[in-house]
Amino acid sequence: MTLFGQTVVSGLLLGGIYALIAIGMTLIMGVMKIINLAHGALIMVSMYIAWVLFNVWGIDPYLSMFVVMPILFGIGFLIQRYMIQRVYGVETILPQSQLLLTLGIVMVLTEVIRAIFKSDYYTVRTSYSTSTFFLGDISVSIPMAIGFGIAMALVAALHIFLSRTDLGRSIRATAQDRDAARYMGVNSVRITAITYGLGAALAAAGGVLFLPMFYLWPDICPMFTIKAFIITVLGGMGSTVGALSGGLILGIAESLGATYWAMGYRDVVGLIIFILVLLFLPYGFKSLIKR
Amino acid sequence: MKNVKLVLVLGLAVVLVAAFTLPGCVPEVEEEVPTGPIKIALLIPLTGPFAMFGELQKNAFAIAYEDLEAEGKNIINGRKIELLITDTQSSKDIAKTAAERVISVDMVDMIGSVYSSAEGAAIAPVAEEYKVPVLINAASKDAITEQGYQWVFRANCPSSHYTDAPVEFFEQVLKPKTAALVYENTDFGMSSAKGLRLRFEILGIEIIHDEAYEKGGLDFTPMLAKIREKNPDLFYPVSYVMDAVKVSEDMKKLGLNIDCFFGGGAGYVMVEYVEALGKDTEGIFSTTLWVPSVNWPGGVGRNSTDFANEYLKRFGKDPHYIAAQAYSSMYVIQDALSRAEEISHEGIRKALAETDKTFTMGPIKFESWSDDIGHSYTQQNKAPTYVVQWQNEKLEVIWPLKVKTADYIFPTPKWGEK
Amino acid sequence: MTKRNKLSLTVVAIVLLALPWMIQASYYKDIIIMTLMWITLASSWNLLGGYAGQVSLGHTLFFGVGAYSAGLMAHHFGVSPWWGLLLGPVMAVIIGTPIGLICFRLRGPYFTLSLLALGEIFRLVALNWESLTNGAVGILTMRTWPGVKEPYYYIMLAITALCIYTCYRLMRSKFGYYFLAIREDQDAAEGLGIPTTKYKLYALIPSALFTGLAGAFYMNYHGFIEPDIVFGLIHISVMIVLCVMMGGAGTLGGPALGAVIYYVLNELLRVPLGAASRLVFGVIVCLVIMFLPNGIVGEMSRSGRLRGLFRRRKPSYTGGE
Repeated sequence: MTLFGQTVVSGLLLGGIYALIAIGMTLIMGVMKIINLAHGALIMVSMYIAWVLFNVWGIDPYLSMFVVMPILFGIGFLIQRYMIQRVYGVETILPQSQLLLTLGIVMVLTEVIRAIFKSDYYTVRTSYSTSTFFLGDISVSIPMAIGFGIAMALVAALHIFLSRTDLGRSIRATAQDRDAARYMGVNSVRITAITYGLGAALAAAGGVLFLPMFYLWPDICPMFTIKAFIITVLGGMGSTVGALSGGLILGIAESLGATYWAMGYRDVVGLIIFILVLLFLPYGFKSLIKR
Repeated sequence: MKNVKLVLVLGLAVVLVAAFTLPGCVPEVEEEVPTGPIKIALLIPLTGPFAMFGELQKNAFAIAYEDLEAEGKNIINGRKIELLITDTQSSKDIAKTAAERVISVDMVDMIGSVYSSAEGAAIAPVAEEYKVPVLINAASKDAITEQGYQWVFRANCPSSHYTDAPVEFFEQVLKPKTAALVYENTDFGMSSAKGLRLRFEILGIEIIHDEAYEKGGLDFTPMLAKIREKNPDLFYPVSYVMDAVKVSEDMKKLGLNIDCFFGGGAGYVMVEYVEALGKDTEGIFSTTLWVPSVNWPGGVGRNSTDFANEYLKRFGKDPHYIAAQAYSSMYVIQDALSRAEEISHEGIRKALAETDKTFTMGPIKFESWSDDIGHSYTQQNKAPTYVVQWQNEKLEVIWPLKVKTADYIFPTPKWGEK
Repeated sequence: MTKRNKLSLTVVAIVLLALPWMIQASYYKDIIIMTLMWITLASSWNLLGGYAGQVSLGHTLFFGVGAYSAGLMAHHFGVSPWWGLLLGPVMAVIIGTPIGLICFRLRGPYFTLSLLALGEIFRLVALNWESLTNGAVGILTMRTWPGVKEPYYYIMLAITALCIYTCYRLMRSKFGYYFLAIREDQDAAEGLGIPTTKYKLYALIPSALFTGLAGAFYMNYHGFIEPDIVFGLIHISVMIVLCVMMGGAGTLGGPALGAVIYYVLNELLRVPLGAASRLVFGVIVCLVIMFLPNGIVGEMSRSGRLRGLFRRRKPSYTGGE
């Protein structure tokens, strides 16, 4: 029983942070319907910025979020406005040509980071990095728990932003029907750039939450990108609640798979759920929650 | 219309390829007596996931080369040794193409450094086919020296033998009854695990947990929670780079205390490991291929301590054993070149085969030998392995006894009591 | 076919056949062989992705299945891995057909991502199913012709020629028009009575077949495979898409040109630039797709020449007026 409890608790905590990373992706995919391979690279950049803040000025990673998120919002906004927008919505033979552009961005960001920081592995370790508290026999990692809490707070804030503010409503309108939104006077170019920036900022938050318990190096990107893709499809594009449930379910499923099947097949569990959802719930979990 | 375009484009492709290959069209004139520099190619990853280790090799070669220069040993019979550093982009395909290039275009005299197992497996057959000697100093895949290659020499340990010293140590000192074995699912992890399984069977150690994991894991708690339920005497994780940090931290978070926590090489001896874990490393055992405190008497080049200090001074970081292996390789190459009767592929091969000296990483001699777990190698150095233990955030050698720098601490202290 | 076309085709064929004898250094032959392999990969991807519009990020699974079919024959039964040239493509089709039937229900990004996931599943299974695949240790065999490149060159050239010819014939037949109709508007195609799933499958089968064939060839040529290499998401799947989109998706010559650029340009940059070459390559990729969103050949066939290269393209989505 302890084993089962431990598995579910660690899966749940991890899933919370997964959800945060994926919500950035789900916004971008929901509004733009593109495959954004650069998501992991943005997470990596945010982690490096937080690492510099920690190492040079000793700023705690959780505090540095207030600096890193705006910076990444800016980077994301600029990438979308001046690079992706150029090929976005242009009549091309294949509409997916931005996929290649985001790949190019990954290559450039990775190599720029490598040129500055070398390929070394960096860690940020704070006093609470490995501290835990126990619920009975089940150990709960404090940075994981804090990360989970912050992730949930951000998800809630985003949900309120999207449903209560004008800007948020414009983003949702653009996601639902770009043309209709345009006719209603929404500046879709600006909204798209803001969405991409917002997605980047949320990804940054996820990256920073991982920092006290993980490590960073220039080639870390694909792992995060794949996780974000899976959760986005699990949850359904453009749905915060969907991404949240997708993240939590993926986290728990992976943990259970690692415990009761084999650690080597940990990622396979997530991928199989992913394909099953694609086949039987093509619009993700959000189609279940739909009122 | 479509046809014209097809032909145009195909033609363009051909022209591009042809234009690129044009320099190759000029027939090469056979030089009678070569007078230019002696070219040694280093095929190392400088971009991609392995770049950090390529960097270590590059730096170590730079130190070694400057040392040789200072002694005036970098010139052999009036010909200067020249290092040709080529990036393999951490890709096996590029490594193979790069090997073809240095052999057939740059006409190198030998290949001096190869990093990853996959790259080694790609480069070794190319070198064999074109009869160019290659000295491998980091790729640990067993099969590389099991093919009977005549032109491939390996100075470092094959991955099945990283466990030599630990196995002796378990047999003669710790005598555990049960063991949990986990390993990353890479060539290195799987080969190490395979070797250990056979050896543990011989020693009568029961393996009560045996599991592979996907490298680069975010969370190892499920796997470790299972081990916590089984409570083995010995925990032997084979992890590379930062997985070692994650495994140890997740153990701490779970409160998983095992009497003998024995890291299987690589990740558990890296500087990054102690940087991340600090005093939590106390009492953790590991196996390694080189330690700064073991100075081999009569060694060519700097001794280990000296090399480690120089590396730290120059690059601001403690060297990994990969660096020591690379540093020694430069001296192995220089030694072979200075003994070679003629500087030709065949001459260098013969000289390399007769190598029998002590270097920074220990004695190097390329021999053919078989082991007790079904491998038979050719031109494979029997590299020494050590059991080390973290004590006061420093690596102390505890086995073999004749080079030990400290007494071992047993059991590994509990996480909260360090 | 006009007389002039025939003539130029003959010239190209002669040049290609004579190529290995015009070059001495094996390095250049190696590059040409690998470029041909990438041309095959890109052209076969183009059949499904470029013409039928089903963008796949999982072609590595067909490549890996092809390579492992060849490798496992040698590993388990000791037969020549050349038999893989027969078995590999067949296996790729056998595995590809059910995947297609299931995943073709999905559209756009969903299809792309489902294949990405399948590719990763194949990689992880190959890595963990040690008794079948030898796990991460991979399969190492001796090459048939050590130190000789010509046989490999001609085999690969034949495969590439066959692949391009198949694409060419398919696209001039009824199939080609159906593929394009599906790409342009699937619902409209359905409305016109085209059984879309069936025709997508007709695009997938040759695509998987030639990718598997290239995989089997790769096993023979390199003599060493392991799951992370032949089932690599970044190294294979994504790079195929890169080749096709750089050259021009949905054109016959585009993927070939893209593959040439990808492999040759990377080599040209790698040698003088060293570690900085990846950065330069990334910048080039960004610039090509920003200024030539249809790829190089795609833009050429659209406007006749590379006119308007730096003209700011007017996006069809502009809002806020």
